[in-house]
This record gives sequence, C-alpha cells and structure tokens, in this order.
Amino acid sequence: MTGRPLPVPDETSAPYWAACAEHVLKLPRCSNCGEFTLPPDVTCPHCQSPEPDFKFEPVSGRGKLRSWTVIRHSFLSGVEVPFLLVDVQLDEQPHIRMVGRLLDGPEAQLHIGDAVTVAFEDLSPEFAVPAFTLADAS
Amino acid sequence: MSGLFASHNRIAIVGYAHSEVVRRTSEPLGITALRTARAAIEDAGLTPEQIDGFTSSALLPSSGEHAAQDGISVVTSDWLAKHLGGHAHYVAGFQGIGQLTGSLSLAVNALASGAADYVLLHRALHNPAGKYNDNPTTEFAGDQQWSAPQGFFGALPAIAMVCNEYCQRYGATRESLADVVVEARKNGARLPWSYWHGKPITKEDYLAEPPINDPMSRLDCDIPVQGVGVFVLTTADRAKDLPHKPVYISSQAFGYPLHHRIPLHWTLDEMMESGVGLAQRLWESSGLGPADIDTAQVYDAFSPFVYIWLEVLGFCPVGEAHRFISEGGIDSDRPDSLGTLSGGGAIGNGRLHGLPQLLECYLQLSGRAGERQRPTTNAVMSYSAPHFGGAVVLTNDPA
Repeated sequence: MTGRPLPVPDETSAPYWAACAEHVLKLPRCSNCGEFTLPPDVTCPHCQSPEPDFKFEPVSGRGKLRSWTVIRHSFLSGVEVPFLLVDVQLDEQPHIRMVGRLLDGPEAQLHIGDAVTVAFEDLSPEFAVPAFTLADAS
Repeated sequence: MSGLFASHNRIAIVGYAHSEVVRRTSEPLGITALRTARAAIEDAGLTPEQIDGFTSSALLPSSGEHAAQDGISVVTSDWLAKHLGGHAHYVAGFQGIGQLTGSLSLAVNALASGAADYVLLHRALHNPAGKYNDNPTTEFAGDQQWSAPQGFFGALPAIAMVCNEYCQRYGATRESLADVVVEARKNGARLPWSYWHGKPITKEDYLAEPPINDPMSRLDCDIPVQGVGVFVLTTADRAKDLPHKPVYISSQAFGYPLHHRIPLHWTLDEMMESGVGLAQRLWESSGLGPADIDTAQVYDAFSPFVYIWLEVLGFCPVGEAHRFISEGGIDSDRPDSLGTLSGGGAIGNGRLHGLPQLLECYLQLSGRAGERQRPTTNAVMSYSAPHFGGAVVLTNDPA
C-alpha cells in the first residue's frame, strides 16, 4: 500500500482498472472501426461513431520512448520524489501515447526511441497502474 | 473562411491600463479590475457610460483546490459590467484554454457585427493564499483517473517532456533555455510595474537553479501574481476621433487539439502540427507574412513555448529557434531583432496570461512604449500553446 493517489473507476474505465489489477494492459477498442484509443471517449476519436461500444482488449504494451522528465517536485500529496515519467508511443498502436513511470530509476540513461515494455506498480490491494521498464537491449 | 479577414483593420485598440503586478495583495481582485477599467476608459478618451460591450475570460489557472469567487479571485465580464455601471449591450466570457486571444476575438467580433460600439476587454489574475498548485486529493475520478495515479499532474510535467523532446531532437540545452529566461528577466527588470522590476538574472543564476521537472526549473515558469490588464476597442471609424493612435487588428487565428489523449498530455508534435495550421490561417487572413513583422511577442509562460511559437509562425526553421535566440534573434537591445520579450513576457512580469504580449504590441504600435520604443508598423502576439491558443496580427498602418 502506497500513499499515492488512487483512481476511482467508473463505467467507462472499470474493465481497464480490473485488468491492470491482474497486471494486464487492456485498451478500449471501438466496436465500429476496430481502432484502439486511450482514454475511452463518448465517441470514437477515429471513426467518430457515437456508439463506439468500447471493448477492452489486451495489447503487448511494447513501445518506444518519445520523451521523459525526472519529477523532483510534485504537487500531489503522498507522492515521493524523484521519479521518472516517460511518454511512450506504443509499437502496435502508434497513435496511442501513454504516460507512466519508468521503473529503472531516475538515474537511468535514456535516449529517444529506446524500447520499453509495460510493467505495473501496485498502489493498493485493489489497484495497479501501468508503468514501463527498459526492454532488454540485447 | 479563407482569404483576407473580413474585418481586416476595421477594429482597433484605442486605450489601455494595467495594474501593478504584485505577488499578493489584500485588495479584492474586483477592486483592482474596476480601478484599472476606469483608467483604461479614461485613457481611451471615453466615459464608462459609453462602454456597451464587455469580454473576458475568468479562469483561475491552478491545479490546487481553490474555490473561485467572482470579484475576489476571478473577475468575469458580468461582474465588471454590473459593478462599473453603464448600459452593456453585449457581455460575454470565453470558455477555453486560449483565454486572452479567445476573449479578444469576442471583442473584435462584437464590434464587427455591430453588437457593441465600445468594448472593454479585461483579464484579471489572482494568486490565492496557500500553495498555488498543491492538491491534497487522494482519489481521482473522471479525467484525472488516467493521469494522477502515475504522478502525472498539473501542467509542468507534460511541458517538461515537450521541452526534453525538443532538446533531444534539436540539440537545445539548459544553456539555450537560459537565453530565453535571461532575456525575459532583463526586459521585465526594466518595467516599473513588473513583479520582477529591478531583478534581472544572469545565465549563471539560471544554471545554478536546480530542475524541478527536468530539464525545467522554477525559472522556466512564470510566477503566480495578482494583476489586471484592460484594453478598450472600437471600430476604425470611431477610433479616428479618439486621442491615441489606433492599433488595428489585422487578423486572428486559433489552434485546436488534434489528438485524443489523457488529460494535459500535450506533445511537441501536436503543438507543431496544430501551430503550423494556425500560422497558415493567420498569415493568409492578415495579408502579411513573417517578413513584414517588426516585433513578435510570443507567449512564454513556460520558456520552451518561445521556441515553438517562433518556429510555427515562421520566424526561423523548425528546430532552429534555440540557435536563433542564442545568436541574438530576439535580443531587445538589438534594433534588427524581433524584440520578442521586450515587454518582459510572462517570465519577466508574472503569470498574466498573454497580457504582457498584447500590451507590448499595443504600446509599440501606438508609439507609447517610452524608452523601449522601437520602429514598429506590424506586430504579432500569441497566447497559450498553439494547439489550444491563438495569435493576432496587429498594425498601425491600415492602408
């Protein structure tokens, strides 16, 4: 149990958080056009369907670093610093950009395009949040 | 629309006033706004009874838990119209992130349509007691469930990642960012009303400041303040009879987010992509181009915004703004430069949401910039980031 802020799931997000708790990354996929999106919206951002009926489906969670920052001061309570936040472009869904922590630590030597893979941080018995680790360079 | 702006040079700024920029004050923001509004109306050679239009945007831009109170911590046009007295025909507030350019467009459009004859545009910023952005919430519902659990919160982390992507891609460094901040503080230090009056910094000062979200430090961000700016606008035919040289609106253009992302996940590519479209509309509808512009007052709440705006507006090639600046391209002491932060900007004044940019364009174009006066016929100002904000071309030569 960390003191970090927790999400409050709702009907649009509950399957996402339930999968995260099992350490599986499932993203909402439009039932009309088949594109993934994040976060779910009231319409599909790709085909504009007003009835996207998003289904949450597993994705590989592999991606590339687009950018990063070391957070040395946070405006949130219960958040210990420093930590690395990364902006990740998913390999199979390149239009999706995720922001999570990089668990390799704030001193990690990084480059744009470095390969990463999804990992999970357990925030509480009920909640885990997606994060990333550097993929094996070999 | 396409082609020249239909109200091209038909609407003008005819007067202004601004308050002192202070860190905090016990004076309610509404009182500061009323005093400044009366001064602006007098400056324009008008009386409060003649003002029949009011536009503004009232957002308190904090991620902390501050309850906004009209007349105390925010000032809407409704509040100002009611408390100033008079006979308003048109009162409107802009809802969105591009507050100053958005509410300026409400003023321009109200005058162009005949909905009002004299419009008072204001922006009033407050610095609430306590920490500006600190937020004690432990459970986040709605949009922020997608970002707060990671510790991705407030505007700065995303801007820092945009900044880092720019630095990694184009070779900019903290030494380059220092050139932006030192220039803003140099100019702000020369302004008697600025919070940073008399307090320039050196490159060494900048580099000694530790980053808070790498590569950005506190010095790369504008400081929360209390301050009010007011402009009076009217039509070109009415402007001819007023005391000051009119400053005409040549064109205005706005940007919009292009991609669906988690809250506040602003990206470099999106800013550039949206900004290039904005600039194309701006120049086409003004009949001018970057080469015709004498000063570009671009938004600088966060230092890397200056790079992005100079590049999307076409003042230097993409990826080159940091070199353009380091080589003196915006140095206000060089007559051939763009003088981009000659009015101090946000970093040199305080968190005034585009007021320093619009004010400096007005002062230079109306010939009222005093010791800072530079030969100026055409100017451009911008506000916010290009994928939410706007830009305006202004001129004192409507021919």
